[in-house]
Amino acid sequence: MSELVLETQKLDKVYKLGGRTVRALSDVNLQVKKGDFISIMGPSGSGKTTLLNMLGCLDRPTSGKVILDNVDVTKVPERKLFKIRRHKIGFIFQTFNLLPYLNALENVELPMEGTKKSGDKKKQRASELLKMVGLSEREGHRPHRLSAGEQQRVAIARALANDPTIVLADEPTGNLDTKTKYEIVRLLGTLNIDQGTTIIMVTHDSHIAARAGRMLSLYDGKLGKEKEGTHLLKKELICPYCGGEIQPDNTFCPHCGKKL
Amino acid sequence: MAIMISIPAGIMANQEATQNLTENYNSTISNMQDEINKTATLIECRTSSGRGMPQGMPPGMPFGPGQEEVFVNETVVNEIRSIGGVKDVVEFLEKSSEVTTSETISTPRGDFTISRPLYTITGVPLNSSLINNYSILPTDITSGRNLNEEDTGVVLMSSNLTDYLEVGVGDNVEIYGESFTVVGIYESTSQSIMQTRGVYMNIIEAQTITGNTGNVSRLDVYADDVSNVDGIADVIKAAYSDLYVTTYKDRLENLERMQEMYQTTLENAESTISQTQTVATQEIIIAVVATSLIVLFVMLYTVRERTKEIGILKAIGFSNWNVMSQFMLEGILISLIAGVVGIAIGSVGASTITSLLLPHVSLFPTQQREFPRQTPLNPGGTALSQSITVLPDLQTILLAFGVAVLLGAIGSLYPAWRASRTSPMEALRYE
Repeated sequence: MSELVLETQKLDKVYKLGGRTVRALSDVNLQVKKGDFISIMGPSGSGKTTLLNMLGCLDRPTSGKVILDNVDVTKVPERKLFKIRRHKIGFIFQTFNLLPYLNALENVELPMEGTKKSGDKKKQRASELLKMVGLSEREGHRPHRLSAGEQQRVAIARALANDPTIVLADEPTGNLDTKTKYEIVRLLGTLNIDQGTTIIMVTHDSHIAARAGRMLSLYDGKLGKEKEGTHLLKKELICPYCGGEIQPDNTFCPHCGKKL
Repeated sequence: MAIMISIPAGIMANQEATQNLTENYNSTISNMQDEINKTATLIECRTSSGRGMPQGMPPGMPFGPGQEEVFVNETVVNEIRSIGGVKDVVEFLEKSSEVTTSETISTPRGDFTISRPLYTITGVPLNSSLINNYSILPTDITSGRNLNEEDTGVVLMSSNLTDYLEVGVGDNVEIYGESFTVVGIYESTSQSIMQTRGVYMNIIEAQTITGNTGNVSRLDVYADDVSNVDGIADVIKAAYSDLYVTTYKDRLENLERMQEMYQTTLENAESTISQTQTVATQEIIIAVVATSLIVLFVMLYTVRERTKEIGILKAIGFSNWNVMSQFMLEGILISLIAGVVGIAIGSVGASTITSLLLPHVSLFPTQQREFPRQTPLNPGGTALSQSITVLPDLQTILLAFGVAVLLGAIGSLYPAWRASRTSPMEALRYE
């Protein structure tokens, strides 16, 4: 039985926007077990990012609880929250958000600033992570010399730096072309299966959402019915062109016919 | 920063200059005091006022003979010697050379060309008892020997004259058409270009060659006791109205006048310096405030520009303190770099900056600076408005560094605090 790492109870978030009250989240009850790969799908304005911000301790709910590793983070004072963000949460953004004046390795080392790790240890860890995402050769490159997909890989490595309890990905494929999109989602899936990383991914792309183990939908701030995802739990391969399922011995994609 | 280190350096240089002047004057005055005390029994009688150049001569005007050289017959010597209480009378003949030189001297006010006698002959009675008892010959002999009793055909020359004529001990020189052998050289007392070039010789020869047989221009009358000095002086003044008589009292009065003049000068200088310091303090305060404000605005701008970055850093687990120290460090670094640049500029341009920002410290009334003159107050005859060298010392530079760090910290405190308080969620949305 997998343990519960993240749970929300009756999560509500109400904004006041120009005198109008906007209910961004309404009675969200979510349970995340260790090793889950969850996708949350929904149209713009459905509250996906708001939910992710609550889970990532960037925002506080109007009411309800967010329990991360048995701690209700809504009760943790602001000045101590950084420790939770640093050690328990890894963020992946749509726009990558790498620091332009640092190279790939330094960007990955960044979350370890302020931890007790020595300089060498940090470097070693960052180097290992870059190897894991397949960017060993690109350590010294600054973000502007990396492709969009490579930048997102660096960002994924950065999210994993402090070995977080949960990785939160906000539209991680939103700024990528079709081929790269599937590469990134496959990388997330591989991390989920090989490392047991717990991942929550927000997307409005149903093809991408379908690669996760659990598919949730959010509409007008309310969680819809849960569906079971397909692909990565079964460890099948994905065509980089159309995202269709392929077999390891396929030379051509059975769906789009492109050479693999 | 440049201002911050230049101005204190400028003030220090000014204070130093004043202090040097003070020391200079003090030693001059105390030397003169000693001299006056030693020669308390001396009554000086001159045939001319002996003031050298007329007062208030405009710059550029050639040094003429100054005034006519007047002589009296040496029969006066015996008459004075017979006055009661007179112990000795030493007679001198002082006569300028007919040859004059044209010289250019440089002063801060420009170059002046002057014309003056090549040398001045002093005829001295070469009598061993007079030579031994009174200081009538120069004492600072640098080569050769001093004049001795009954020397003839020989001269003692000042080093500035032998340098000018390029002669040494044993060489022959022609004076008023007669050949003389240089037996000794004495050190001229100052390095000044205006120092008189002197020739000492037997008074009898001096009288002969200058066509002044039986004439003298100066008498040093020695009283047997200080108490008799005033009486003797009165008798001489009454009997010889054409003699300028001075006693130690007159010389003391002269000295007091000089001291008063010096006091006024010093007070002037001090008031200028205190005025300067007030201005300097204001300027430093302005500079400090301006620097802090510049750091503040630069850092506020930086924080605003990098809002997104702050959001990222906070989202990936930077604490408020991490963010704040990062921006503080940057502010301090910026002002440290500015400090280095400022110190470099300040060290090179301290004099210029000081003269631009501080009121000019004038130690002397203008008309006295017009022309360098050899006066007792200004023994060197050098221009007193000398350019003051301004050089920041190590202590000032270190202090400036400290101030730079402090201002960087103060100026970036608020922006860094604001950065640390930024909400990560809002900052991430910021583009």
